[in-house]
Amino acid sequence: MKRYFERLRRTAWSYRQPLTHVPTATRATVSDLFVWRVSSDWETFFELIDMPGLFASAEGTAAKVMLVFFDANGQFILEKMVKIQPNRRNTLAISKIVGSGHGESGTFSVFHSHTPPSVYAFGSHLAERGYVSYRYRNAPLRAYVHGNLDAVARMPDQSLQLLGGRSFLGREYNLQHLLVSNSAYELGIVNPSTRAQRIECRGLYADGKLCTSQSVDLAPKGCHLFKVTPEYAQQRIVIRSRLVMARPLVFRIQNQKMDVFHG
Amino acid sequence: MAFYPILSAPGCNGHTTLYNFPPNNWEDTRKESRCVNLTWAEDGAWRSVALCELDFGAMQAFTRANVAAYVPDDALALLSLATAPYPERCASLPKAMSGSDMPNWRATLGLSSPLASTCYQGELDPFPVPGSLLTFAPFIQFGAGVENYMLFLNLEKHPQMRTATVGIYDGAKPARCLGSSEVRNNAVSVVSLDGLGLGPKDLPVVICKGMSGIPLYFSKTVDGACLSLEHTHPPAAHVIHGKRWEAQRLLKTEWFARLGRE
Repeated sequence: MKRYFERLRRTAWSYRQPLTHVPTATRATVSDLFVWRVSSDWETFFELIDMPGLFASAEGTAAKVMLVFFDANGQFILEKMVKIQPNRRNTLAISKIVGSGHGESGTFSVFHSHTPPSVYAFGSHLAERGYVSYRYRNAPLRAYVHGNLDAVARMPDQSLQLLGGRSFLGREYNLQHLLVSNSAYELGIVNPSTRAQRIECRGLYADGKLCTSQSVDLAPKGCHLFKVTPEYAQQRIVIRSRLVMARPLVFRIQNQKMDVFHG
Repeated sequence: MAFYPILSAPGCNGHTTLYNFPPNNWEDTRKESRCVNLTWAEDGAWRSVALCELDFGAMQAFTRANVAAYVPDDALALLSLATAPYPERCASLPKAMSGSDMPNWRATLGLSSPLASTCYQGELDPFPVPGSLLTFAPFIQFGAGVENYMLFLNLEKHPQMRTATVGIYDGAKPARCLGSSEVRNNAVSVVSLDGLGLGPKDLPVVICKGMSGIPLYFSKTVDGACLSLEHTHPPAAHVIHGKRWEAQRLLKTEWFARLGRE
């Protein structure tokens, strides 16, 4: 009986609420909604690999990849086609592609030309969850973070489909990370769903009491950076929203050094 | 729930922060204190000791120094949360408590030098044996005084030590192995990525035909003032939906045949 009620309870959180919807076109390719940052302090890079070429047994020719950029409000900025050689590393200077005049942060997606036949034969779609790196204040090293959100599909007719699932019930993402008082944090959230989302970022003291709360209405494909600076005590973060998984991208700055990781 | 290793790397100390609260409000609704167990492999057995109890909602950091009294220098220290202490000695890795899936119940796994620190949110589940690894690793950084390493992180159910060989190739010139290194199970094995002749446009391909693991890429400036840490994806992460593991199998078969073939 206990199991039955637990299953019933879980159904309320899972029924028709997938983390990622299946693209409606078989051959669509999928990308994360990565966060770009551009300012005098920040540079953004992307490590681009010809992913369809990884599945091809023969020596490939140059592949085409489409980059699509959005501002923090999810508005389209530009798209850019790049040609890359197979089995090579192509480090793209994303900040230079975005340029100035579009704000200091936004999102972008990376769509490969096609899903290889051997992949869609498995009922799968090619997914770009690759590697973004950020350089802070001309540091000698960039800090890397991998993508992990299958957010947007590009259809054969070039249209985009947002894949992020929405929840019937309000969800909390409890960031399992201890925020310490000698660091400044920026927590990046993107909206991979088709509707605007109210996102609340709550800072809790170690004893669970609320210490700060910030909210934003986030447009589809948009992003927001919540700034959190624990001044006196350790904190943890809870993200409230109706996104199935509102996993933040965490930038931590300590002694002028930056680290980045996924929540 | 998985295990949470205390990492180690050249010039850095590892630290791991555990959290006794779930990553979401709907998968695991239990609000209970949990026991922090420390587990390591020694003399052909898994040894465990209960370190402390974490109240619900509590967070606590552990360093290598905190466990040095128990864990031999060459053994991987594994922390985990459970409802009770594990047996002191086991032939198979104790079963950690089940936690959550969306996302997995994680800890903060970090490395610190005297001047900087870096971390990622992670967990470690035992890999099948023998297992294998294929990953594409565009993380090598370049510049004066920059060092690059792969930290090969492995955990298996059995405590008996075994080794395997990691090979590093240039994806565009797959015939020649640029370097190989021995890695150990139930350990963090450090593999230098410098001096292999890989340049900024070369795509490093890392394989291990005899062992699975999490490939962590760690870059540091020689003075330890700047650190970077992240892992690459397994091949299954390059696709979504459908039979992802079949796609992984296909990619491994293809690349294992291609690499090292004249």
